[in-house]
Amino acid sequence: MIKLNDLKISYRIGNRVIEAVNGVTLTIPDGSIVGIAGESGCGKSTLMKAIYGDIQSPMSLSGGSIEYGMKGADGRAVTTETIRREWFKSISYIPQSSMNSLNPVIRIRDQFTDFPGTDSNKKRVLERARAYIGKLGLPAEAMDSYPHQLSGGMRQRVMIALATFFQPELIIADEPTTALDVVVQKEILLLLMEVQELMGNTILVVSHDMGVHYQVTHKMLIMYAGRVVEYGDTESVFADPQHAYTKMLIDSLPTIGDDSMRGVLASMAGAGGDRAYRVEPELIEVKPGHFMARPSVGVAA
Amino acid sequence: MGVLQYVAKRVGLYFAVLFIGLTITFLLPRLMPANPIDGYIGQIQARASGALTADDIVQLRANLEQLYGLKGDLFSQYVSYLERVVLHFDFGPSFTYYPQPVSQMIFNALPWTLGLLLIATLVAWLLGNMVGLVAGYFHTKKAATILEVVGILLYPIPYYILAISVILLLAYIFPIFPLSPTFPVGQMTPQKFGMVIYNSLLPALTLVLAGFGWNILSMKALAVATTEEPYVTYARLKGASNWTRMVRYVFRNAMLPQVTALALSLGTVFNGALLTEMLFSYPGVGLIMRTAASGGDYNVLYGAIAISIIAVATAGLVIDLIYPLLDPRIRHK
Ligand SMILES: Nc1ncnc2c1ncn2[C@@H]1O[C@H](COP(=O)(O)OP(=O)(O)OP(=O)(O)O)[C@@H](O)[C@H]1O
Ligand SMILES: [Mg+2]
Repeated sequence: MIKLNDLKISYRIGNRVIEAVNGVTLTIPDGSIVGIAGESGCGKSTLMKAIYGDIQSPMSLSGGSIEYGMKGADGRAVTTETIRREWFKSISYIPQSSMNSLNPVIRIRDQFTDFPGTDSNKKRVLERARAYIGKLGLPAEAMDSYPHQLSGGMRQRVMIALATFFQPELIIADEPTTALDVVVQKEILLLLMEVQELMGNTILVVSHDMGVHYQVTHKMLIMYAGRVVEYGDTESVFADPQHAYTKMLIDSLPTIGDDSMRGVLASMAGAGGDRAYRVEPELIEVKPGHFMARPSVGVAA
Repeated sequence: MGVLQYVAKRVGLYFAVLFIGLTITFLLPRLMPANPIDGYIGQIQARASGALTADDIVQLRANLEQLYGLKGDLFSQYVSYLERVVLHFDFGPSFTYYPQPVSQMIFNALPWTLGLLLIATLVAWLLGNMVGLVAGYFHTKKAATILEVVGILLYPIPYYILAISVILLLAYIFPIFPLSPTFPVGQMTPQKFGMVIYNSLLPALTLVLAGFGWNILSMKALAVATTEEPYVTYARLKGASNWTRMVRYVFRNAMLPQVTALALSLGTVFNGALLTEMLFSYPGVGLIMRTAASGGDYNVLYGAIAISIIAVATAGLVIDLIYPLLDPRIRHK
């Protein structure tokens, strides 16, 4: 169980401070897939980085705390200070750009063993990884290939293999499929779900695609301007969104089961979807309690 | 494209470059308005104080034309030139050191030039890239900028100023190295070899310093750009060590353009030879070239030009054949 207590993360640029995550309190139960949505710049990646423990200048933890509910090798509870020691041991990360996240001049197999990980016996790691990638639908030769010899989808499978073969307790995926085409996106997310069902790890997945969230997540976290707008079971969030902003996000989703995405998007644009965002700047200056008005502007437009 | 095809293509290109280079070396003197034979006859006549008769001169001209391959029409000259050069590496005799063959003079000088300049270029490349890598990888740290300053200071200094300053400092003010180096001739012995190394250190140092700055600056810029690559970030998030990230991630990728740059700088080794060898009276090809140029010794000059064309093309070939080993994207096209 991961607990965020009034978490505040800020960026310092010169003498200006941006509160990218501005007081987030929530509890993430073990073994759940949590989807995170919210408009660009609302602090999703910042929150993910903070939980992963990748807090470095100009980013800093300006308030609150994270409880991981895990124990480190020394038997003590893992904290923000010690979480780095757990990287690719009990916590892992799937990056957005599968296309460029693998070293182009080194074979895939060597990228399975060039970090400390859970096992210092490289040979054993490779044997296990070789067997494991087969289960993820990758040919065994992929291990001996260079990244450019694999397709985008295969590379993202490699990233998932890298992030899961040592069975971490927590996996963080920040837009893991944005660079892929729709069909491959779906395959990859279903794969992630399968892995999670098998291993029972907790997965945090950031996506802009509400359809994806509806399909793969157990819980939904909606963020706006560094704060939580809504958080709850995916079923109930989609069936009965409480906040106007959540409603707006869900409304922008094409009817589930409707394949004519293009038509829906076109009609959205026609209905003034664009104009609703254009009034945004004035609203960003409004304090958190005031932003409820925002979707009503969008709806009115 | 298969590996064999790549190699075949590259080797084919190599021979084409050699062929064109040798053809130009052939045509160049023949396009010049002054006929070297007239020059030689003039010189010989001056030495003989005009004692040569007209018949002697005709005889001499025929002999010289025979000797320097200037007999017959252009095409037959060309064919016999190629035959001599390609099959026997024969550029005829030197005029100044007649009858010493040009090829022998060049082969005597070549190991000196290649030994000094290749080693200095490689050392400058290695050191410059190591310093540049550290400066680039740790570019957010203050201490690393000091390393870059070395490059910024060294890079713009013209070579001859750098060389003279080094001579002044290390041979005159602090006489660690000989002011006028002497190089032994004849059979190498371990003792002579030590002497060669000692006498070569100063010219080598100037060459390393001259090449060093550029390599630092260039590698630093490449390394900074590479540290921003998503695969380097991902390696960090995997928990890979600084060493792994710096060497296997940043260096292995940032070095690729530097290898190409190395090929180019190896190609200009003979430019460097001219100045260095003059400054340090170093018995290499550069010194021979200079002497030949001032003495109008055409055969030696063309022989030296041909050997530098061959050396430049060979350096390019070697690097091009090594490059695919470093970049799998080329290897597995
Ligand atoms: N390195 C940084 N330096 C300064 N400010 C930053 C930095 N990274 C993010 N920010 C700021 O923090 C805020 C939140 O950014 P974040 O990347 O978390 O958004 P996001 O929700 O992930 O957006 P997106 O959906 O576009 O990925 C933004 O206002 C952004 O400008
Ligand atoms: Mg983001």
